[in-house]
Amino acid sequence: MSARSPRLLGPFVIATYLGLLAPLVVVIAVSLGPSAVFEFPPRGLTLHWFEAFFASPAFVTAFFRVSLLVGLLAATLATVLGTSAALGLVRFRFFGREALETFFLAPLLVPEILLGAALYLFYARLAVQASIWTLLCGHLVICTPYVIRSVTAGLVGLDPRLEEAAMSLGATRVQAFFKVTLPLLRSSLVSGAIFAFIISFSDINLALFLSGPQSTSLPVHIFSQIQWQGDPTIAAASSMQIVVIGLLILVVQRIFRLRLVV
Amino acid sequence: MDHSGARPIWAFLTGPYALFLLVLLLVPFANIALYSLHPYSPTKVFLPELTFDNYRKIFDLYYVRLFGRTLRLGLITTAASVVLGYPLAYWLARARPRWQAAGLFLLIMPLMVSAVIRVFGWIVILGRKGLVNQALVTLGLEPVKLLYSETAVVIGLVNIFVPFMVLPVMAAIERISPSLEEAAQNLGASWYQMFRGVILPLSLPGLISGCLLVYSLSISAFVTPALMGNPRERMVGQQIYDEVLVSFNWPGAASLSLTLVLITAALIFGALFATRHAGRQAKGL
Amino acid sequence: MPPSIELQVSGLTKRYSPQVSVGPISFEVQEGEFFSLLGPSGCGKTTTLRCIAGFEALSEGSINLHGERLDDKPPHRRDVGLVFQNYALFPHLTVFDNIAFGLRLRRLGKAEIADRVGRVLQLVDLAGMAARFPAQLSGGQQQRVAIARSLVLEPRILMFDEPLSNLDLKLRIQMREELRNLQRRLGKTSIYVTHDQTEALALSDRIAVLSHGRIEQIGTPAEIYERPASAFVAEFIGGSNMLRGRIVERGDAGTIVATKTGLRLRCRPELEGKLETGEVSILLRPERIHVQGPGGNALPGQNRMTARIADITYLGEDLHLSLDLAGGERLRASVKNANAARGWTPMQSVELLVDTADLRILRR
Repeated sequence: MSARSPRLLGPFVIATYLGLLAPLVVVIAVSLGPSAVFEFPPRGLTLHWFEAFFASPAFVTAFFRVSLLVGLLAATLATVLGTSAALGLVRFRFFGREALETFFLAPLLVPEILLGAALYLFYARLAVQASIWTLLCGHLVICTPYVIRSVTAGLVGLDPRLEEAAMSLGATRVQAFFKVTLPLLRSSLVSGAIFAFIISFSDINLALFLSGPQSTSLPVHIFSQIQWQGDPTIAAASSMQIVVIGLLILVVQRIFRLRLVV
Repeated sequence: MDHSGARPIWAFLTGPYALFLLVLLLVPFANIALYSLHPYSPTKVFLPELTFDNYRKIFDLYYVRLFGRTLRLGLITTAASVVLGYPLAYWLARARPRWQAAGLFLLIMPLMVSAVIRVFGWIVILGRKGLVNQALVTLGLEPVKLLYSETAVVIGLVNIFVPFMVLPVMAAIERISPSLEEAAQNLGASWYQMFRGVILPLSLPGLISGCLLVYSLSISAFVTPALMGNPRERMVGQQIYDEVLVSFNWPGAASLSLTLVLITAALIFGALFATRHAGRQAKGL
Repeated sequence: MPPSIELQVSGLTKRYSPQVSVGPISFEVQEGEFFSLLGPSGCGKTTTLRCIAGFEALSEGSINLHGERLDDKPPHRRDVGLVFQNYALFPHLTVFDNIAFGLRLRRLGKAEIADRVGRVLQLVDLAGMAARFPAQLSGGQQQRVAIARSLVLEPRILMFDEPLSNLDLKLRIQMREELRNLQRRLGKTSIYVTHDQTEALALSDRIAVLSHGRIEQIGTPAEIYERPASAFVAEFIGGSNMLRGRIVERGDAGTIVATKTGLRLRCRPELEGKLETGEVSILLRPERIHVQGPGGNALPGQNRMTARIADITYLGEDLHLSLDLAGGERLRASVKNANAARGWTPMQSVELLVDTADLRILRR
């Protein structure tokens, strides 16, 4: 700390953080309370709503069969697609490279609701039924840019001469990549993959358009439950998502610079 | 390594994703453009003729009010995000590494949790029997209707989008050497004078980025206004959702979407231009 | 009338952690004096400077400026100018606006601001640069703007935080001279922080040598160089040879110190009282060794040693000789590259003559 900050800064910052985190704290608290009406602070501690969550086929399917599955698939595929794209962008010079890079990151600039509508209409015109796969494709569009950003940041910090050194010792280009570059990119890959998972897992705007009867994701189910005045099972489902995502972000922060990906 | 040789390896590497985006980003939007030029039919969704009616209807009172409201709420949200976000960004930029890491975690983590969940939390807080009203009742006051209003929507949007203001501004402030702050203070500036004279002008590019991000995210928001707003006073996102999935007015939805895209694109270009100008000023070139 | 005391630092202590702390540090700076804080990195000189400027709070002690308590004022209310190491010029402001920054905060009129800025630009030889931006200036010019920016506010004291360390050697020497002339002309009380002892010696009226958060010695350049108070100061300033031995005889003609290798050296008589133990270090500056061929004359009282030249470093104007004594010690001598010295070669036997006054006894 160099220049002295005004005395009001600290309290202001704390108040802002409290405001930012309040809804999450409230959700977790409600999920642990016994009352069927949303009550805060909760009168007691109970796991009743979590039991209700696991007892509800709709919630369980949404969480495990849809959101988790699509998330893992999206993370894997986005990592493969994105790493390959990032490699092409960083390690090579070709005409239109910068334009291509902008194009690859364009999904970040498109309002999600519009992308959802566009994809819905597109699938409709092709008479494709809503399924996990249509949802997955939609998620890949918005998840891959995060992988590209993460891997690009990692590659830029990597000395390309390391691969050249490996080749001078007898490795082919492919061998050098897999034995030298890839291991060094590990933290970028992992954080990119984790981010891709998180984006897919918590997406609501695309899923609202792309969900079908067998492929309702967790956030969409929560959304409809809120609209239909559900009970604190919603809070339990939400708490689980908060915890999962919170832990994943912690992991990313340990191995990589968080802000480079967001 | 410079590979401008005969085998375009870069094409093999970037090809798959480029193709993917072509099919799943460009084509769908071209599709929308196409839809927007057909007239709406309640029975067949759309008719094969071409027309500009869908764009003309945007100038109807209902849609003018719709866009006006959306753009206005976006502005309010952005302004509130600046007020809340700037001090936070400054604190984070100057915080010691451990505090900064913790602060970033607490900032980014809610961002990654689905918007539905955060809105749900606000509903619990602002609802008729929610936290705020419970507190008022125990104080002997009447409960207040806070939800289903523009205020509630702004609160929800600001809550969700403030991190998008904080991150670019923080990055910009970090690039300002602390010795500049000290020099200003040594020359007699109080912290506020220093902030206005040094930090603000030099972090302007970050501020512009943040405003662009928050504004374009706000005007295309759906979940927050859908769950927290007055159903009779919609935002554009809700209208698009409704026309796609409820009334199947795909041509109408398409024209709305494209209009939104145009507005967003105009914002991006405006911001790019403003950033470059501000950036040049900051360097004194 | 004796010069008045402008700045008084008493018992300044800054604790960073139970293990790491600076101080207590005490010194006084007189009006119009050029006072340097000299020491290696981590010695506490920058901390002291920042405490005076107000960017660090004191854990203990006090600072007084012209009799008034300074350390309880916030940094923007102290009448102290600070020139930063990286100049800290505002990149988005012109040279004029940079210099006018402080004046505008004091709400002076446009005409007066223009007048004062113009005059100070003349003073630092930058007239005509008022409309340029810092990015368009050279390092030396940027530095002058930084100085002008502080000077124009006419502070009671002007402080410099290693201002020349970012410049290349020739420019550094040139700026050094300009700084000295400027300070002498204005008579502005100045505090200068540096790790470069040549700079400190060339610029200062007095120097405070710091090490590990404490002041080792305060004195004029000559005092610091000729009469260092400790081995640290002796070795930090200028070249040095340090020998170890034990006092065996004390007298008016000099104190005799015997080394383990059998040398008996007559050293400058101690003036500062008796040392507790007889174990001491002896300081001998390389340029004070007279080197000559064997079999020459010596003056009475001079110490005489035989040595063999181990190595000669050719520096153009000077020759640095590595000398091996019979007892195994290695001395470094610095002689002018002239006369007999030009013909010397390694492995040659030579004789060393050292005056009693040039052997200084220091605490071990």
